[in-house]
Amino acid sequence: MQRTSYRIGAILVFAGAVASLALAIYAYVTPLTGVNGSVGALIVIAASLVLALAALVLPVISTRSWRNVLRGLLLLGLIGTFLAGLLLHRWWIGLAMVIGLIGLAIDMTRPARAAPPARTKGSLR
Amino acid sequence: MTRPAFRDLLGATAASILAATGVMAQDTSPNPDPTQVQPVTPTETATSDPAAPPIPLVPATATWDSFHGQLNAQKYSPLDQITVDNVGDLEKVWEVHTGDMSDGSGDTPATVWSATPIFANDTLYIGTPFYRILALDPGTGAERWSFDTQSTLEALTQPALKNRGVAYWQADDPVAGEACQKIVYIGTMDARLFAVDADTGTPCADFAANGVLDVNQWNTTNAEWPLSLLQPPTVVGDRLILGWAGNDWALEQAPPGTVFSINARTGALEWTFDTLPEAMRKQSGTANVWTAMSADEELGLVYLPVSSPSPNFWGGNRTQEAPYATSTTALDVDTGKAVWSRQWVHHDIWDYDINSAPTLVDITVDGTDIPALIQATKMGFLFVVNRETGEDVWPIEERPVPGGDGSVTGEVYAPTQPFPTKPAPLLDQAEKPQIWGLADAVSFGACSRKFDNLQYDGMYTPPTTRGDGALAYPDSAGGVQWGGVAFDPESQIAVVNTSHITQSVQLYDREAYDRIAEAGGTETGGFSPQAGALYGLQLQNVLNGLGMPCWKPPFGELVAIDMQTGDVKWRRPIGASQKYGFYMPESWGSPTIGGPAVTAGGLIFIGASMDAKLRAFSLATGEELWADQAMAPAVANPAVYEYQGREYVAFVAGGNSILKDQVGDQVVVYALPR
Repeated sequence: MQRTSYRIGAILVFAGAVASLALAIYAYVTPLTGVNGSVGALIVIAASLVLALAALVLPVISTRSWRNVLRGLLLLGLIGTFLAGLLLHRWWIGLAMVIGLIGLAIDMTRPARAAPPARTKGSLR
Repeated sequence: MTRPAFRDLLGATAASILAATGVMAQDTSPNPDPTQVQPVTPTETATSDPAAPPIPLVPATATWDSFHGQLNAQKYSPLDQITVDNVGDLEKVWEVHTGDMSDGSGDTPATVWSATPIFANDTLYIGTPFYRILALDPGTGAERWSFDTQSTLEALTQPALKNRGVAYWQADDPVAGEACQKIVYIGTMDARLFAVDADTGTPCADFAANGVLDVNQWNTTNAEWPLSLLQPPTVVGDRLILGWAGNDWALEQAPPGTVFSINARTGALEWTFDTLPEAMRKQSGTANVWTAMSADEELGLVYLPVSSPSPNFWGGNRTQEAPYATSTTALDVDTGKAVWSRQWVHHDIWDYDINSAPTLVDITVDGTDIPALIQATKMGFLFVVNRETGEDVWPIEERPVPGGDGSVTGEVYAPTQPFPTKPAPLLDQAEKPQIWGLADAVSFGACSRKFDNLQYDGMYTPPTTRGDGALAYPDSAGGVQWGGVAFDPESQIAVVNTSHITQSVQLYDREAYDRIAEAGGTETGGFSPQAGALYGLQLQNVLNGLGMPCWKPPFGELVAIDMQTGDVKWRRPIGASQKYGFYMPESWGSPTIGGPAVTAGGLIFIGASMDAKLRAFSLATGEELWADQAMAPAVANPAVYEYQGREYVAFVAGGNSILKDQVGDQVVVYALPR
C-alpha cells in the first residue's frame, strides 16, 4: 500500500507535466490565445517535456543523493513552470503544476531505500 | 534606422518585463529671435454662407466616415444599444483576415497597420498595408469588392509598410447611375493617391490621371525620398487636405512640410500651405503633417497638427523662427491661409511632433460656452484653446526651461516653453522620473548608475554630447500618439491614453558617429545618422541589462478629464505589458499606441495595449467591463457604427513594431447577441 503511494507521487508529477505540455502546445499553436507563437509558451513546452521525462526517471533512481538532486530540480522546474504558466495567463498550467507539486511531495515521503520503479501507462515497467 | 521600441521595455526575466502670449504665429517677416513667437494678426476668418443652415460640430446622426470617426475628431458615437450593463454580453459577430501582413522575415518588409475602418455608403471600407482597399458588408464582413493599387511593397521612407486607412467623399447631391459620386481614396508609400468609385471599386477616370494622382510631382525640394501617403486625406467639403510622411532622422535636410488641398472630384491642386518660412524650406525641411487633421465646417477651418523641422535632434541649421513648426495651425479651408497658430514647442530639438488631430469640443467653463480645441502631445500635455481664435481656455504659461551645456556646436535654445496650467499633465514631468526599485535591485544598481550618468535639468533638457546623454521624460515615444483624445459631448468628458516612457538622447559629433558606424556599431542601439548635420544621435529607452524599464510603472494609463473644470476625473493603468508572451501585472499598465472611442452608452472602447487585448471601460468610473483577445495590438481607434438597426464595434488588429514585434491582418467586429 505504501509502495503504491510512492508510485502515485511520480505518476502525479508525470500527469501534471503531460497536462502542462498539452496545454502549452495548445496555447502555442491556437490563434488568439494571447500567447500563440510566443517564446514563453515554447519555454513551457520544453520545461513540461523535461519535467515529464524527469518524472519517469524519478522512481528508478535508487541512489538517495541523486534522487534528492532530481527532486530538487523537479521542485525548481515545477515552481518555475507554475510561475511561467501564471505569467502566460494559462491558469490550467498553473493547476497542472500544483498537481505535480503534490506528486513531488508524496514522492518525498518515500523512505531512504529505493522503491521499485513506478508504472505509468505505456511507459514504465 | 530603428526607433527605440516599447517592445524593448521589458526584459526576459522581468518576468522578466504661452500665457499664451506668444503664440499666435504669422506668416509675415520672421522674428530675429528664434525663441520668441510673435503674435499673429489673424487673417480673415473663413465665413460660412449666411444663408446655409449651420453645420453642427457633432453630427446629428451616428457617423464614422473618417479616421477619427468625425471631422471633429471626437471619436464619439451617439449609439447607445451597447451600454455599461450589457457590454459584457458582446460577442464577435465576424472577423476578416486580409492576408496583407508580413513579419518582415522574408523579402517583404514588416507591416504596421494602424487603420480605423470607416463606415459610409452602408459599407465598411478598410485600407491595408499592402495598399489595397476592401469594401465589406458591415453586418457580415463579406467582401463586396476590393481594389489593389499594385503599389510597390518597399519600405521607401519608413522601416515598415504602413497604412492608416482610407478616406471617403460623396457629392452633396449624388447623381444616380453616375460613377464616382461617392469616392474612396487610399494613399501609397510611393506618393500616389488613388480614387475609386465607392460602389464598385472602379478607378475614377476624372480624378487626376485615370484615378491616380502623383503627389510626388510636387516634391521639388530636398527630394531624397517620396512624400509617403500613409495617412488618408482629411475630407472637408469637396476638398481633400493632404499631408504626408517622410524619413525622419536619416538626413539633415528633408522635403519641406507643405500641405496640399486637392479637389475631391478631379484631383486638381487648389492651394498649398507651407509650414516653413521660405528660407528654411531648402535649408532644413519637414515640419510636415503626417497624421490626421480635424475641421470645423461651420467655421470653415481645418486644424493642422504640425511636426518638427529637420533634423529632429539638432537645430543648428535652423536657428531662425519657424512659427508653424510643432504647432497646431488653423487654416481657412477655402484659401489655405493661416487664421491662427499656436506653437507648442519652440525650437524643437526633441522630435516632439504634434502627432494627432486636435479634438474639437464645445465646453462650458465657469458658465461660459467655449468653442474649444484639445491638442494632445508627445510631452503628455493637453493644450486647450479656443478653436476660433487660438486663445487660451485655461492659462498656458511660458516658463523658463534648461539651456544647453555648451557641448553642441551651432545650437540655440528657446529660453521658455509653453506649459498648460490645466488640464494637469498626463504624466508628471515636473520631477525626474523615479527609479523603479525592482529593476534597480535585480540589476545590482545599474538603473541608478544609468540615471546618474544622464543629464537632467528638468523638462526640455536639451540633447547633449556629454556623459551618456540627456534624460528625456518623455521623448518621442511617450505621451500621446496618433489616437488622440476622445470626447463625450454630453458629459464633456475627454478620454485619452498615454505612455510613460523614459528615454536618453545622446548626440555624437560627425567624426565620432562615423567611427562608430564604420565599426558596425550603429546597426542597433537606436542610432540615427542625421547625415549632413554636425551630429548623429542615439535615442534609447532607459533599461537595465535585463531589458527592464528603469523607471517606475505604470507604463501606460487611460485618463478621463472633466473638460468643464480641467480636472482629472479618473485615471488607471491600461492593459498589460508583455514580453516573450509573459504578461506583467496589470497594475504596471502597458505603453499604448492607438486610441479610444466613446459612446452614448457610457462606454470607452480601446485596444492600444501591448497585450493585444480589446477592452471596454465605463466612462463614468474607468472600470473595465469587457475584454477580448485580438491577433495583434490594435494600434488605431476602433470604429462604432449602426447597420440595419444593430450597433457594431470594429477593431483592426494590425500591430506596430514600436510597441511589440507582432503583426496582424485581423478586422474583428463585435455586437450584442440578437
